[in-house]
Amino acid sequence: MSNPIPSRKEVIEDIKNRGELVAAVLPIHYSRALLRCFSIYPVEVWGPPKVDVSLGGAHLQPYVCSIVHNALSFLKMGGLNAADFILIPHTCDSLQGLTSVLIDLIKPEQAIIPLYLPRGQREEDIIFLADEFRSLYTRLSELTGKKPSSKDLLAAIKREETSDLLLAKLYKTRQQMGLSNLDFYRLVRSREYLPAEHFSTLAEETLQTSTQPRPGIPIILSGIVPEPMEVLNKIDEMNGQVVADDLACCGRRLYKPGISPEPFRRMAERIISAPPDPTRGNPIEERVKYLVEMAQNSGAQGIIFYEVKFCEPELFDLPNLRNSLKEHGLASIIIEVDINNPLPHQVATRISAFLEMLDS
Amino acid sequence: MKIAALGIDVGSTTVKMVGIDAAGEIVWHHLEPVDPRVEKQVDSFLNKLKQEINSLNNIPLIATGYGRNLVHQAVKNITEITCHAKGVYHQLGHGGTLIDIGGQDSKVIVIGTKGQVVDFAMNDKCAAGTGRFLENSAARMQVPIEEMGTVALSATEEVAISSTCTVFAESEIISMIAHGVEIEPILMGLHRSLIRRVVAMVRSVGLVPPLLLSGGVVKNPAIRKVIEEETKEQVFLPEHPQLMGAYGAALFALKLMAS
Repeated sequence: MSNPIPSRKEVIEDIKNRGELVAAVLPIHYSRALLRCFSIYPVEVWGPPKVDVSLGGAHLQPYVCSIVHNALSFLKMGGLNAADFILIPHTCDSLQGLTSVLIDLIKPEQAIIPLYLPRGQREEDIIFLADEFRSLYTRLSELTGKKPSSKDLLAAIKREETSDLLLAKLYKTRQQMGLSNLDFYRLVRSREYLPAEHFSTLAEETLQTSTQPRPGIPIILSGIVPEPMEVLNKIDEMNGQVVADDLACCGRRLYKPGISPEPFRRMAERIISAPPDPTRGNPIEERVKYLVEMAQNSGAQGIIFYEVKFCEPELFDLPNLRNSLKEHGLASIIIEVDINNPLPHQVATRISAFLEMLDS
Repeated sequence: MKIAALGIDVGSTTVKMVGIDAAGEIVWHHLEPVDPRVEKQVDSFLNKLKQEINSLNNIPLIATGYGRNLVHQAVKNITEITCHAKGVYHQLGHGGTLIDIGGQDSKVIVIGTKGQVVDFAMNDKCAAGTGRFLENSAARMQVPIEEMGTVALSATEEVAISSTCTVFAESEIISMIAHGVEIEPILMGLHRSLIRRVVAMVRSVGLVPPLLLSGGVVKNPAIRKVIEEETKEQVFLPEHPQLMGAYGAALFALKLMAS
């Protein structure tokens, strides 16, 4: 990559210096376009890792995952002070609980905006989600005093669609790009906080750079988020190559362009068309089919389920999912981590043993 | 004695080194409690061997185990999972489901018909289900670790240990002793508690018979008996159960030399 990727902090400072608004957005699915047409810049909060969790621990049960624990702790230590709004999609029980804790007990200065997501991919789910986006539009209008037109909305949607198409192209050509696992995920995860136009420029530059493909044992990475990102370095060192992913922060958000000319429906179509995702209630059969096809298309020999401890939607499906994948000849392994801890030696051993197993 | 390749297994409790001849047979081995300064310890192992065979030139060494990355004398390192599977398969001549209970972790490895690792599970998050669980309990009851299994098997009854956590189990033991429970039934209950955790791992990967056993804990006769009771499967042991990781590493070193 010719240009360095700015950090989350640098991007937030740049937005604030321009006098614009920032929304801290928790995982996983929402419409970036809807925020952007109000000149609100979404910056996603996936934890962040390695914070003092004792601040959030007072309000949450011990069996809540470290992403939610950290988000609350980070807010309480002032880490989200730059945000003007906090958007919380109802991804799981823990995030729903966090919304309640924030609204009813902690009452931060920023407006807390919940977003209800449907649990299916049917026509009625599109209708429900489009209505949710209309409600969110009304709420944002009240908060900002702005009323973007349908034309503004469609322009914002198309800007995001362009960016997502480039993201998809990065995924498609990743095996020829020669980037290390860590460099590739630093690039694609910058979509979590870079404005779409900035990300598109970065993606185009990377796509134009020609390098030698990297050899390695091809694997799929599945889970919520590859944190600590040191794990990607470890996979590099062990001669593993992540050739595809089923990560909530990355591959499960390869949204296709919408079809409808009506902006709210189009935003909903995009999210509903995303790959199968346990947090949206997709049946195991759909996930098996999707992962088997992913392995066939990418040449992956196995799957690492890299899971955040206590992530109930992810972990609930895993025994049956892994059994079905095994029947399709796809080996897998579960690695459970707490995103606050450095990567344990035992995790490195497991990954190494898994790669040795695939290589043999 | 003609040594063609060496393997070393730096575990959390002991360090094992194995020398094999060109046919892959164990012709030399050495075992010591692990020293925190692993590099020095490996040097002393190699010096000991050098005194016996004069020269270590052109003898490849592969390292495995928890401390494998610290063995700078090794040409390569390979995980203990792959090495245990290799060693046990080579010694027994068939695959199956291998249980290896180590000092710090326990592993269940499904070995395929060609000796390859098909699936595995590791208990590496807590001491329950590992040799450390027994060590702590033995110390608490002042029973020498090497006699623990025999004492447990002499029990005419057994008490249930409900805690699967090493620390809580220790509290439970203290409570039982305070209530006058004899040591033998407590020890038998401890063995069952440990083995039930291991058997849960076996079930998570799916038991492919026969059931195989390796690791230093195998010296404890109660372990084998309780595994057989809990799984209803006969357990098979290699000749040198404690050396299987180092033996597998040596076999890989031999293969490396041949290629």
